[in-house]
Amino acid sequence: MIEKLQDILGPAKVLTSLEDRIAYSYDGTFAQSLPDVAVLPESTEEVAAVVRIAAEHHVPVVPRGMASGLAAASVPFGGGIALSLTRLNRILEMDEENRTVRVEAGVVTADLQAAVEQRGLSYPPDPSSNHHSTIGGNIACNAGGPRCLKYGVTGDYVMGLTIVLPDGRVLETGGKAIKNVVGYDLTSLFVGSEGTLGVITEALLRLTTRPQFVRTALAEFPALDDASRTVNAILAAGIVPATLELMDETAIACIEEAMHLGLPLDVEAMLIVEADGSDEEAVVREIEAAARICRKNGARQVNVAQDEAERTSLWRARRSVSPSLARKAPNKLGEDITVPRSAIPEAIRRIKGLSREYGLPIVVFGHAGDGNLHPNVLFDKRDAEQWAKVETMVEKIFRVALELGGTLSGEHGVGTLKRPYMEQALGALSLEIQWRIKRALDPLNIMNPGKVLPKSKT
Amino acid sequence: MRCGQCLAVCPIYRLSLNETDSPRARVALLRAVHEGLVERPTENTAARFFGCLLCGSCSFTCPSGVTVDRILELTRGEMAEQGLMPQPLVSLGERITEVHNISGEPNANRLVWAANLPHPPTGVGKTQAEVVYFVGCVSALFPRSYSVAQSFVQVLERAGVDYGLLGDEEWCCGYPLAISGELEQARETMRHNLEAVRALGAKTLVTTCPSCFHFWKHTYPVALGEKLGFEVKHATEYLADLVEAGTLPLKEGLPEQACPEHSRRDVTYHDPCDLGRKGEVYEAPRRILARIPGVRLVEMPENREGSHCCGGGGNLESFDPALSQAVAARRIQQAAETGAQVILSACQQCERTLANAARAERVRMRVKDITELVLESLKDET
Repeated sequence: MIEKLQDILGPAKVLTSLEDRIAYSYDGTFAQSLPDVAVLPESTEEVAAVVRIAAEHHVPVVPRGMASGLAAASVPFGGGIALSLTRLNRILEMDEENRTVRVEAGVVTADLQAAVEQRGLSYPPDPSSNHHSTIGGNIACNAGGPRCLKYGVTGDYVMGLTIVLPDGRVLETGGKAIKNVVGYDLTSLFVGSEGTLGVITEALLRLTTRPQFVRTALAEFPALDDASRTVNAILAAGIVPATLELMDETAIACIEEAMHLGLPLDVEAMLIVEADGSDEEAVVREIEAAARICRKNGARQVNVAQDEAERTSLWRARRSVSPSLARKAPNKLGEDITVPRSAIPEAIRRIKGLSREYGLPIVVFGHAGDGNLHPNVLFDKRDAEQWAKVETMVEKIFRVALELGGTLSGEHGVGTLKRPYMEQALGALSLEIQWRIKRALDPLNIMNPGKVLPKSKT
Repeated sequence: MRCGQCLAVCPIYRLSLNETDSPRARVALLRAVHEGLVERPTENTAARFFGCLLCGSCSFTCPSGVTVDRILELTRGEMAEQGLMPQPLVSLGERITEVHNISGEPNANRLVWAANLPHPPTGVGKTQAEVVYFVGCVSALFPRSYSVAQSFVQVLERAGVDYGLLGDEEWCCGYPLAISGELEQARETMRHNLEAVRALGAKTLVTTCPSCFHFWKHTYPVALGEKLGFEVKHATEYLADLVEAGTLPLKEGLPEQACPEHSRRDVTYHDPCDLGRKGEVYEAPRRILARIPGVRLVEMPENREGSHCCGGGGNLESFDPALSQAVAARRIQQAAETGAQVILSACQQCERTLANAARAERVRMRVKDITELVLESLKDET
């Protein structure tokens, strides 16, 4: 099989040494497993050729972008072919009239954003990993981000896809027409499919106008509970900020240690509120109204960023929260449960309660405005007792989300780490249907096997 | 945790788009070596540790504080102990140990660069001096870089500085040995240099080479376990002070060499890795530029802490010249995109790498060291 891959791609794009295989054995989590080979195709045709060879030999194919995922979705647990899409990195067409852009899967999200912003346009979905994740990966796990509160998630911007199916045929879905109800919505089927149904190689994305004015405020709350209540108070007042982010005291301490921004270390929580739009007065009115609500609900201080530099460093800080937690403990397990907005304060209270009960820190931060929280358990995996506790705690965190009417994941995806909880979240019937879809498309079960769906009972 | 933020800033990964070339993969491989997944490191294993620029972008970005460049320096040492150092670096190490410089020619040639100056540098043959100018191997022994040393001594003399040169008592600073993992050999050359500088009773050591600067300032005291007893400054820091004190007679108009059609030259400045991220000298060169008449600084988007390596770092050029050139090509394109006519650096290595790239990429841009610009901007001697 290796020879066939080399014949098609050329030897330089087929990596078989142990050193190379180690490089393709992990993602953003602590999970690790060696592939048998890693390949670096540069076009949809090359991807299709690789998948055809894999199908012929019944070998697993595990697609990956920049492998910054947080659910071990691109870790090749069963070996096989690690298929890197990073070299499919061309922006193929920017259509300003229709406000669409066609890109290859390996384009880095921040590069795409910079390219469209030069033309006064915007691609809003902004996962914290936007500088080290690809559009293909974002689509495959339907990534979110802070701006999703106002603008929606990655899937809301996908108008069409080019997909290499598990038998090597190439499927095109969707198109530039905004309304399209002809047949089943296959585009949506592949969004969030985490490489289990096929390999996304190109995407047609919707763009918006770049907001001309932005104001960002930082509110300091002595009490975490006040901060979480404020989230709802702002939204209930009819304000829809572009983002509404919450960070608890440990998150604040970690980024302060990493970045020295002068953040307060004596508060239990901070909220970052950002308003944007094309009317400066409306934006200012919105941010001032939000600031008033923060003060009324217990914020001791609210600062509005004075300039773009201050705003940029604030966001750089927010994006670094998750990785900077490594300063506190050797390992962390980050979840991304979602709950209905109204349940945010209760969810945070219960999660902090679990932390006290088990004696391991849980850092809470995230996109509070859309009910998407990132509770991160900090621990040392070498300590078997701690690891056992973590497994129980995670199960209980998921239970909190489900009991409050929410679900397991808002944006990271299921991967391997959340598989055991799928039935609890979705029920047996839903899983049965999903397995039927999987088998219809991938009868050999070679596309990222062992991910998303728990073992089938039938 | 392996977040992958370093991939976004690694000049090598950004070119190859192959995870194997990423800082994250190099650390993962090191871990695999230590945990036994790689039972016996081979040349292929070692190549992953030597194929890095040590530019420090990843370490600077890492939110978890992993100092990848430092880790790789130490790992190179481990590989060297196991006989896995790439041949070009073995030869480099032997040259330095035998003749005390990186070029391999007799160390007595250390002052050849001074031969075609209008008059011999006043710093030659001194027994006492306030300031020692540590020239560095590249500016002293590679003809294309002579002009950095030539410009700097002329500027010092116009400012009336009492400076001394070590001549053949100057040995390689030891940096290339240390980043190949040859710490013991590095210590020998360091001890020699320290004694030579002390013999002149200098209060300040100035280097034009940022690598010598970084190594003198940060490694010498630690590796030798003693205080140096004098201050270490980079030429840009020293010149910025002279310029601001009014000690240097700067021209009031434009230097004659400037484009006659325009009243202003746009220049961009490339932060060398060893001066910026590792030496934390960002402002001094900009302070100098702010005082030079007729010059406007146009920054590249990747500047200061975020500066993109010129491709000349980490001994990569000796190990993988093609990769080094590809990194340089990307940087010169970034410079060209600013629209500036000149790209300045404060490092003879950056100047050489970028000048080669400008030629190879057919980018019409002058590449200069900031010391050369300062000399051009001085009033004619009366």
